Amino acid sequence: MKLINQLRGYKVWVAAALLAGSMNACTKNFESYNTDNTGVTGGQLAYDFNVLGLYLKSAEMSIYNFSGGGDPNSFQVQQNLNADCYSGYFMSATPFGSGLNNLNYSLVTGWNGEAYKVGYLNVISPLTKLRSTGIEKTFPAVWAVALITKVSAMSRVTDIYGPIPYSRVGESNTSIPFDSQQDVYKRFFLELDTAAGYLRQQISSGKSLPFNFAQFDVIYNGNFTQWLKYANSLRLRLATHINYADKALAKAEGEKALDPANGGLITANADNMTVKITGAFTNPLVFIATDWADTRINASLACYLNGYKDPRIGRYMDKSTDPSFPNQYIGIRIGSITSANAKDDYVKYSNLNVNDGATPSFSKQTPVQLMTAAEVYFLRAEAALNGWANAGGTQQAYEDGIAASFAQWNVSNPAYKDDNTSVPAPYVDPKNSANNAGSPSTITIKWNEAATPEQKLERIITQKWLAMFPEGQEAWTEFRRTGYPKLFPVVHNNSGGTISTELQIRRLPFPQNEYNTNPQAVQAAIQLLSTPADNGGTRLWWDQKPR
Amino acid sequence: MELLCTCKVRRKGRPLLQKLLLIMRLTAILTIVFTLNLSANSFSQSVTIKGKRLALYDVFNSISHQTGYEFVYDERLLQQAAPVTLNMQSATVPQVLNACLNNRLFTYNIVDKTIVVSARPRVKDTPLASPNIAIQGKVTGPDGQPLVGVSIQVKGTSRGTVTNVQGAFTIDAKPGDVLIISFIGYAQQQVTVGNDANLAITLQTQDSQLNAVVVTALGVKRAEKSITYSTQQLNGLELTKAKDPNLINTLNGKVAGLTISSSASGVGGSAKVILRGSKSGLGSNQALYVIDGVPMNNSLTNQPTSIYGGTSSYDGGDPISNLNPEDIESINVLKGASAAALYGSQGANGVILVTTKSGKSGKPAVNVYSGFNISQAAYLPKFQNNYAQTKDSSTQSWGAKINNPVNRDNLDQFFQTGQIFTNAISLSGGSEKAQTYFSYANTSGRGIEPGNDIGRHNLDFKETGHFFDDKLTATADVNYMTQKIDNTPLSGFYFNPLTGLYLFPRSLDISQYKNNFEVADPGRNFLPVQNWPLNEDVQQNPWWIIHRNPNSLRRNRLLANASLKYQANSWLNIQARGSIDRINDLYEQKIYAGTQQVLASANGSYYYSNTTTTQQYGDVLANFSFPGKKISINGLAGASIRDVKIQGDVISSGKDGLYLPNIFTIQNVKTLDARISGTAQEKHSQWQSVFASANISYNDWVFLDLTARNDWASDLAFTPQLSYFYPSVGLNVILSQALHLPEAISFAKVRGSYAIVGNSPLAYQSNTPGAKLGSSGNIVVSTANPFNTLKPEKTKSLELGTEWRFIDNRLSVDVTYYKTNTTNQTMEIAAAWATLNNTVFINAGNIQNQGVEAIVRYDVFDKGKFRWNTALNFSTNENKIIELSPQVDRFTLSGASGANYASQFKVGGSFGDIYGTVLSRDAQGRILVKDGKPVKQGGDMVYLGNANTRWQLGWNNNLTFGNFTFSFLIDGKFGGKVMSLTQAMMDSYGVSKASGDARDAGGVKINGVDEAGNPVTTIDAANWYSVIGGREGVSGEYMYSATTVRLREAALGYFVPLKNTFVKSLKFSLTGRNLLYFSKKAPFDPEQTMSTANGLGGVDAFMLPATRSYGLTLNATF
Repeated sequence: MKLINQLRGYKVWVAAALLAGSMNACTKNFESYNTDNTGVTGGQLAYDFNVLGLYLKSAEMSIYNFSGGGDPNSFQVQQNLNADCYSGYFMSATPFGSGLNNLNYSLVTGWNGEAYKVGYLNVISPLTKLRSTGIEKTFPAVWAVALITKVSAMSRVTDIYGPIPYSRVGESNTSIPFDSQQDVYKRFFLELDTAAGYLRQQISSGKSLPFNFAQFDVIYNGNFTQWLKYANSLRLRLATHINYADKALAKAEGEKALDPANGGLITANADNMTVKITGAFTNPLVFIATDWADTRINASLACYLNGYKDPRIGRYMDKSTDPSFPNQYIGIRIGSITSANAKDDYVKYSNLNVNDGATPSFSKQTPVQLMTAAEVYFLRAEAALNGWANAGGTQQAYEDGIAASFAQWNVSNPAYKDDNTSVPAPYVDPKNSANNAGSPSTITIKWNEAATPEQKLERIITQKWLAMFPEGQEAWTEFRRTGYPKLFPVVHNNSGGTISTELQIRRLPFPQNEYNTNPQAVQAAIQLLSTPADNGGTRLWWDQKPR
Repeated sequence: MELLCTCKVRRKGRPLLQKLLLIMRLTAILTIVFTLNLSANSFSQSVTIKGKRLALYDVFNSISHQTGYEFVYDERLLQQAAPVTLNMQSATVPQVLNACLNNRLFTYNIVDKTIVVSARPRVKDTPLASPNIAIQGKVTGPDGQPLVGVSIQVKGTSRGTVTNVQGAFTIDAKPGDVLIISFIGYAQQQVTVGNDANLAITLQTQDSQLNAVVVTALGVKRAEKSITYSTQQLNGLELTKAKDPNLINTLNGKVAGLTISSSASGVGGSAKVILRGSKSGLGSNQALYVIDGVPMNNSLTNQPTSIYGGTSSYDGGDPISNLNPEDIESINVLKGASAAALYGSQGANGVILVTTKSGKSGKPAVNVYSGFNISQAAYLPKFQNNYAQTKDSSTQSWGAKINNPVNRDNLDQFFQTGQIFTNAISLSGGSEKAQTYFSYANTSGRGIEPGNDIGRHNLDFKETGHFFDDKLTATADVNYMTQKIDNTPLSGFYFNPLTGLYLFPRSLDISQYKNNFEVADPGRNFLPVQNWPLNEDVQQNPWWIIHRNPNSLRRNRLLANASLKYQANSWLNIQARGSIDRINDLYEQKIYAGTQQVLASANGSYYYSNTTTTQQYGDVLANFSFPGKKISINGLAGASIRDVKIQGDVISSGKDGLYLPNIFTIQNVKTLDARISGTAQEKHSQWQSVFASANISYNDWVFLDLTARNDWASDLAFTPQLSYFYPSVGLNVILSQALHLPEAISFAKVRGSYAIVGNSPLAYQSNTPGAKLGSSGNIVVSTANPFNTLKPEKTKSLELGTEWRFIDNRLSVDVTYYKTNTTNQTMEIAAAWATLNNTVFINAGNIQNQGVEAIVRYDVFDKGKFRWNTALNFSTNENKIIELSPQVDRFTLSGASGANYASQFKVGGSFGDIYGTVLSRDAQGRILVKDGKPVKQGGDMVYLGNANTRWQLGWNNNLTFGNFTFSFLIDGKFGGKVMSLTQAMMDSYGVSKASGDARDAGGVKINGVDEAGNPVTTIDAANWYSVIGGREGVSGEYMYSATTVRLREAALGYFVPLKNTFVKSLKFSLTGRNLLYFSKKAPFDPEQTMSTANGLGGVDAFMLPATRSYGLTLNATF
């Protein structure tokens, strides 16, 4: 009896063992269970060359980030709540952070890492995936576009923070070292060399790609000639940036850009570098101005345009809608919004031109503008001032710049360039006279060859600034580099003494995320700054103009 | 009699009972006194015993060894006996027995080779006035199942018998005699013999912990004394005596080591149920629910993740809250990993075992329950009345002093009295071969926030059938639930009516916006748009939100179980079970045109989500039991498969909103917001497992538990190790049986166990896709690399405990120490962005939880008309992050966006530490003041406190006086700190009483210092609160002690005395929940939580206030 029981017992164990054995076999579906149904695999992307195009398209839309679609939270902190306002173009009526925020130099930790994050995760990351397909060998011209996109995006990043990881990005899963800004710029020029080479090869070959690259390229629709002009113009811009820091390199690179043998620069508005809004995407700046009512025109911009009686004013901005001072072009002074303000106090000041006129300049489908012919003319004007070869005449370039901008915005006033009396208007805040300020500058419009080089520079940069609207990132860089245009300083400076009200903010601190995840590298990077202080008052490497 | 504890006994298979049956067979006519604990020992004929002060136990043992006679006695009786001095040489057994039992309380009978020792009757047998008749009877348990081996004794005599396998017995007695029916695990019952020679007796399960039988892993029932780990059992009554719409909330304060935080999402909201502290950063920390042996789908539903809140930031409810409390027979809480080792990964956080009611054979019983509950806010924020709006259209109230202040009670105009009606009926009945249970319950009502309504229907049908001479038992149980919750309150800043309500300028009259929350816009041909004087994203007209931003959550759920159990022979049964749990959730929010422009487009917006969660479970179990003379072994071996899949889709009209205003259909959606819309991630996971356990007992006083389980998890696909193995071992010694303890100690036990529980990662962590589809056919590159070197998480758990019972079990103490270490956690940590990852997965960490739990119960009065039993339960848990990762020093549970609040943990800290900002201070601790304002310290957020309770104490009382019952529960949670962003916002807007008082007092008193080094003692209130208040202010100034002591529940019941035979019982009760805070320091109830997931712990951002409720209930049995 006992024996039988024991035997039966064995059966149970045998059954259990068999069961266990059979379970092992059942795990063959585990890989399919553990595959995310919402993911897209490389195999699925291969068809129709999507794997070549979609990564690049995503990167192009991230320079001025709207690649995520939906609410533009990323762009708002990437650029709109820093450079767009520090450049004198915009200001917000919203008292973010109980009135203490970037716009009165109380720098918000949670905001200031976004531009950096976007540079790596939304631009370099997809381009790295693109590169892993071997595209540099298969379609070098497409890789050239990718490289130019990368330099376009990352030059904006370094111009915010200074040193950034660049040469060794993606090499490790833990810590990536920073490069000095000088090294980063040198690498930009090398990458532009590579890109321009590939483009010239492609153009001279006269062949076309075996797939429709235009559908992926939301910047130049696959036109490599335009890409080459933009690459040269970008080189000229970057060379100009470093003119006070490394004159020789600036001249060498600037002259390389200006040399017509290298493919030429942007000269017509048709060649402007703009990122098209396709599908369900929207221009993030317009979204912020309309749907959120979180951005308004800056007092500096309104005062210059008002004072100069500039016809572009109605193309740039709407009139105020506040019943107590309707139909005026009036901006908000930076640093004037405090905890005492409600959003409604200032939200009816001038908005971006989304309403006024028969065809307002800005809609949610308006392409994002990153470089215009006008800017290139003004870069040439400064190059001529510096004596760089092939720059042409200073006055000619200056006036061409104004003309190109007027053409771009479809306004005309032949007398404008000859106005030698109008100066920027003083600022009068109808809501709070404490924000009032006198005219920021005495600079007039008309070119004066007899003026001092400094006056000439102010004139060029002021008009360049007026022409570059609404691209605040480059405008802020040029303001910091040259000190022009003269912008109203912040009304309230809550930086705790780290940022000079007069000199204004020079950079953004490194992202908090770097301190948390890459602490040794960020400490080393601080030593690469002009003074080892990671705050908004520290000057970048190219910010060496004596003042 | 109110039972604290419900227990069921298996008819076969457990060592104690097995032994009982064995003895029963040996003694055909057994005449014993009430037997609680039987011991039998067994050998010769002459006996030699010498010794001084010998314990009777030793004398019996000696006789047994020398003669082979077996003794049967009740140990409790024996403990009452004084030691004896004997000097006997080659005496007969009766001589020895007479010598040691003479003149004592005992008598003995010798039947064959068994000596039955019993108490000497105190009352003389009454003379045979009338002749004995043969009484026949049958004893069944409360579930209608026959009970085998029940002892029947004629009171005052030594006549007795036991029931046979059919539960039947025959005994000689005469009318007027009282039969004492007693059985292990059941309350003793006395039946007076009438003229009826046939008795049907139903025993009720017993309150006593001593011989209680508990349900353990996989639905296996075991004698509690054999358990090697800590469990705590509650009967259905504890869940129903003062009901809450979410039944799990009624466990709060009653179980040591269990922490329940309920969601601040109004009626029907979910609850966070944590046993012995949080262990996992990314995974779930919630206890596992097991219904009738089958793990319930415990997937966390949608929960808020940010302070902002918003459309998709709703509480999706939890699976347990849908159950009908009336269907529950008992709940057993297996607290530690040891207890749960057999449940595998999910069991690492402890298990809550739910046993549901079944049909009973015999006369059909109908139970009717009807309850009406009202609720009110238990506290409200306090406002100032003296200062006006700063200026027109300003959102703030920092204006001039009001000359004739009026007390504006805006909240009174908004909040309503909550009402819940619950009606339930259950029918049970059947024959010996088939039993049926049917129940229906209806819950309907409303919360304190207008528009927040709940409607729920529960239907349960359970059928049990017995076939082939009762060898095969088949059970099927089908539950259907349908629930609709309207306007579940959304915490946070967006779409929350409380922001506009609380922050409304104090000098304005809000009532005009109540009745006219919308006005016609002539420019849009009289489209009704919101009427609210303030333009700010964080606030809207509260009534507009209720009526024009409504949300609804509809759930349909089918839960079906079936099981077949075959009793192969006396020592083996085989069981197969299958279950499917399918939950369909439909959530939508309609956002009308006229909603604040940051939140919605001009034509309105629409959010729709449809999710189906399906869990399929199957297992096969072989239960065996090998009884032995000294060593008994029983256990099980089995295999299970569990498959969980969540499917669904979300449609959210993005920034472009709708084509035509206020038409909420998918056709009317202009574009989808690709970031939230689309086919949802499936999260498909499957676990296949084999397991075995053995429980070895030696002489019924040493128990050794061994379990082993191996899981194969699909979530581990693409990693080197597809499976993980985890063992557990437990040992338990019944001291009171092993040693001779003083009489006052009725029971003593020490136990210890050690377990390792594995846990698989979340789905897809080892196989993150390289890219996903974003808007308009664009791809979004993954920002986390696949983690294909991932290892399963491990929790090592050690538990030591002891149980003591005194004074006839009236006083019991149960103390447990535990320590768990969770290692190899899969964490998703922030990466340096230049690595091209936003996050990386790592296996790291060592999170330790250790603590002590103690339960003391005392039956203050256990006899007579007035009865009172009281229980104290205490627990403390210390959570410590011993190790994290060489790469990072912290792990963030919820981020900093939108507020100076982050919940994160660092090495040396604990789970859920709160980080925020503080004021700048000088070396002397004085607040730095610049330009008349305090200075906020810049840089990274600093540690402010931990929200977790340090220790908690619950005091539960049940009193009976005749037909009246009264129960109350006081519980306290001590320690911990919480943050109130509500208060911070109210202060910065100048509406709070604090901000008014500060102005009245001429400023805020501080210990500060200005730029010049001069001391500052007073600071202007507006300057002060403009810096420290607000959602991004100095959150460190808004930390409060989380200590609360409350009268959690009280119930007064009355059993209506009945002569009517149709109505068997009728009881009315008055109940109350959360009646009184004896102590509460925070401006909100710290027990409430915005999210029942791991994040957002200990922070209040406009949570709906906790409620106080009163109810009237009726229970009737027919």
